Amino acid sequence: MRIAIPRLGRILLCAIQQDLSDDDALEFQSNLLSTIADVEALGVVIDISALDVVDSFMARVINDTASMARLLGAEIIVCGIQPFVALTLVEMGQGLLGANCTFNLEQGLKTLQARIALRGDFTATKDDDEHFD
Amino acid sequence: MSAHNHLAALNLLLTTQRPEILEKWTAEILKSWSKRLPNTFNVSEMRLHTAQLLEQVSQIFACYPTHGLWDFPESHPLALIMSEFSASRAVAGFTPTETAQYVMSLKSVLTLALIRVGITSAAELETNLSAVEDVIGRLTLVTFSAFVATRERIILGQSASLIDLSTPVIRLWDRVLLLPLVGVIDTARARKFTENLLEAITRYEASVTVIDVTGVPVFDTAVARHLMKTVDAAQLLGTRVVMTGLNPEGALTLTKLGITMPNVITRATLRTGVAEALALIGRRIVTIPSSQS
Repeated sequence: MRIAIPRLGRILLCAIQQDLSDDDALEFQSNLLSTIADVEALGVVIDISALDVVDSFMARVINDTASMARLLGAEIIVCGIQPFVALTLVEMGQGLLGANCTFNLEQGLKTLQARIALRGDFTATKDDDEHFD
Repeated sequence: MSAHNHLAALNLLLTTQRPEILEKWTAEILKSWSKRLPNTFNVSEMRLHTAQLLEQVSQIFACYPTHGLWDFPESHPLALIMSEFSASRAVAGFTPTETAQYVMSLKSVLTLALIRVGITSAAELETNLSAVEDVIGRLTLVTFSAFVATRERIILGQSASLIDLSTPVIRLWDRVLLLPLVGVIDTARARKFTENLLEAITRYEASVTVIDVTGVPVFDTAVARHLMKTVDAAQLLGTRVVMTGLNPEGALTLTKLGITMPNVITRATLRTGVAEALALIGRRIVTIPSSQS
């Protein structure tokens, strides 16, 4: 199953709508990474509100994706973690260490934009960045 | 002299037919070097050199010991001539084969000439041939080791200059340094650029250092470890580190290795990294109003 990664300016959105197999999860990870590199994304929001269960592999993939995105210069927000999922993650000792979390997509975008606005490169280059928007 | 007796045929050949032998030998060399461009070697110079060499070889045969092996010390004039010649071939970019053929072809010429003389005694022919084999064989060895030694020296010199050339630390702004990394990072290079960087950071009291890894082709465990060391050392001196130009594969490798670099600001491109670095010291690049395009 391929997950679409729509673009909002230099922010990437992706919503994981259903449980992913391990292979799909890895494919999603590499797709997201190459898209981040292609558009020089400033931020990424991953919406996992549709996931009722997260196994340790999926938790790891999300965690890894977050730190990879950071290494590629993008801020990352994970939003919509369900209570049961949160409990599982904590019990597995696998909190989402690399990412910030919000309740829903709207808040996620707001937080992301606030964080991007604080970035030095955004304030310093936004005059010249029109071709990306 | 007893030496004259047992190699009589060979010595006679070398005194009476030397011009013919020289001519054949030169022809052989020219044939094996024919693929070379004419300007990579000087024919008249080579003729002079072969004549000189044949003279030396004749002298060796003239006093070749009756029993046991011929003593060929490294300081022998012939050894010196050959090492020098071989070294000059290595510098000119000749292949090992082409260089070795130079001496080897003399062997075939001498062997053929000896057989044509028509020595009747099998033992005499054997003595003469084995003397040729021995002398030319050892000359070839000297040539070859001199060739390899010269090549080694060239390679060593090149890698040393590569280390010096390829790791500059650029002063981007008053207190901003840029370390552009290009090429494969090995231990020697990593140490060199880390030293350079740390020295520059202290000299300019840099508050921000941008490390650009766009030009690093492979990101493996070793490279990541070297980079981590550099970053840690730089941060100990009190500079902020901005890393730029990491590609998706690099990010994947670092994450799989559990390296997250929490204290390092990472940016996609050198452009945004420079902007970030300038912002950190409170500067910003703006358009000059009068020259707006």
